[in-house]
Amino acid sequence: MKLFSSNAGYFFKEVKTMIRLNLFSNSLTIFSTGLIFFILAMIISGWWVSSRVVDVVQKEAEINVYLDDEILKNNTAVIQMVESIKGIEGVQAARVVDQDEAYNRMVEILGKEASVLSKFDDNPFSSFVELKINLQEIDPVLEKLTHLVGVEHVRDNREVLERLRNIAEALRVVGILVVAAVGISTTVIISHIIRLGISNNKEQINTLRLLGAPELFIAFPFLLEGLLLTIGGGILAVSLATFSISYLYVQMAGPLPFIPLPPVKELVFGMGIVVMSLSAVLGFVGSLLGLVSVNNH
Amino acid sequence: MIKAKGVSLRFPNGTVAINNIDLQVEPGDMVYVIGPSGSGKTSLLKLFMGIEYPTIGSLEVLGQQMDKGQTSRIRQLRTSIGPVFQEFKLIKGRTVAENVMLGMRFLDLPQGQLKENAHDALAKVGLEHKASSLVENLSWGESQRVAIARAVARKPLLILADEPTGNLDKDNAINILELFKSFIDQKTSVIITTHATHLIDTEKHCKLIQMNKGTLSWERLG
Ligand SMILES: Nc1ncnc2c1ncn2[C@@H]1O[C@H](COP(=O)(O)OP(=O)(O)O)[C@@H](O)[C@H]1O
Ligand SMILES: [Mg+2]
Repeated sequence: MKLFSSNAGYFFKEVKTMIRLNLFSNSLTIFSTGLIFFILAMIISGWWVSSRVVDVVQKEAEINVYLDDEILKNNTAVIQMVESIKGIEGVQAARVVDQDEAYNRMVEILGKEASVLSKFDDNPFSSFVELKINLQEIDPVLEKLTHLVGVEHVRDNREVLERLRNIAEALRVVGILVVAAVGISTTVIISHIIRLGISNNKEQINTLRLLGAPELFIAFPFLLEGLLLTIGGGILAVSLATFSISYLYVQMAGPLPFIPLPPVKELVFGMGIVVMSLSAVLGFVGSLLGLVSVNNH
Repeated sequence: MIKAKGVSLRFPNGTVAINNIDLQVEPGDMVYVIGPSGSGKTSLLKLFMGIEYPTIGSLEVLGQQMDKGQTSRIRQLRTSIGPVFQEFKLIKGRTVAENVMLGMRFLDLPQGQLKENAHDALAKVGLEHKASSLVENLSWGESQRVAIARAVARKPLLILADEPTGNLDKDNAINILELFKSFIDQKTSVIITTHATHLIDTEKHCKLIQMNKGTLSWERLG
């Protein structure tokens, strides 16, 4: 351990010299790994956002039951309806959301855009019965609700949820493929540049061996070089992705105010940690591979 | 310190560079190896450093048997040797001081000792003022002295110097030989190959070995 701590300055200087002597290949490596990690960062972020949205929407799995106008006119009939809905197996709670509450909810959802509602003379929303149910029993509950007399129609968000789930799943699969591709290409790129560095420094390596330097001491600057290159690529990717995500958030906030996006800071932070640790691991593995492949020759 | 019994070195192409040599070097010995070019002087030092292995015979250096298959122990052994290569083997793109310190970085020395040893060694070879020059900007003679400084700065138990005065003028050569001699008082053994027989100090305790076509043609013990 002392070998490393007391020589830290030397190792970094060696890496600096190696990068300087081969500036073009090294810059190209940082740039290409940066680009690869950027794609990874965007896919990971997309997957994360979609799975977060699915989580949120799933928790709010809601069923709204709209009643016939006939029944709505009669308060006791409405109360009776609510009671019989409560009696359905799987329904946990049911309550009436009246016109005013429905209106206020929409105002809250629209936020700044709520002014469009003032264009209506009358309250455009009708009252409905809101249900809380066991998610597993959503199908039989819906089945029974549609057969209930006095129910005009039933609205549920199963379809939206299903579509979101598909997107999240697709992004997950693509994400796994991309991680594999990123892993392979990064290790190949890094192991190549390390091999190049080793062959450029053959004489120096040989001299160090003649002076009795341990193999680990000789190899360490190369490991460090690979690590610094991928970390450089990672930093490039994270900055680029942070910029892109912030831009996309601004773009989406306007037309899609309903989507419960995770906070941008949380997303960028999580993505940054994943990309940076992956870049460090791949840099280490890549340079190790480069070292081993040279040693076996 | 060194025990060679019936050692021969035959290269794959059939050249016999060392032929049936017996030799014993004790701590604090100063040994000059002289002989014409191609007589096997460099090959002998390569055997002592474990760059080549005896094809016949047995060789022991600082208690380590020099055999193939002992590579990691021989690597460790080299940390106790101060080698001066005929072609210097300095590391380009680095300064004189860095080259000298590089020979010590993996030895178990305290951090401050590194700079101090390097500084001392450079002073002894008269190159303090070049400490921060890049080695590729040095003359042959200066490069040779850096190589010598790198070897002695590590305070080795055994100095193996291959024609260390080959590129030096007389004053510098005498100065370097004096530097090597200062080590034998600390029980370091010094083996020097050289053409410059006229510089060899005969009055001091030293061994002289004459090589010819790979054999030890005669030997004079001091
Ligand atoms: N790697 C090698 N392969 C084959 N022959 C070699 C090799 N190295 C040296 N020789 C030969 O071994 C003999 C001794 O060489 P060397 O030890 O370098 O002599 P010296 O140092 O006394 O000039 C020479 O004939 C040389 O050509
Ligand atoms: Mg020679």
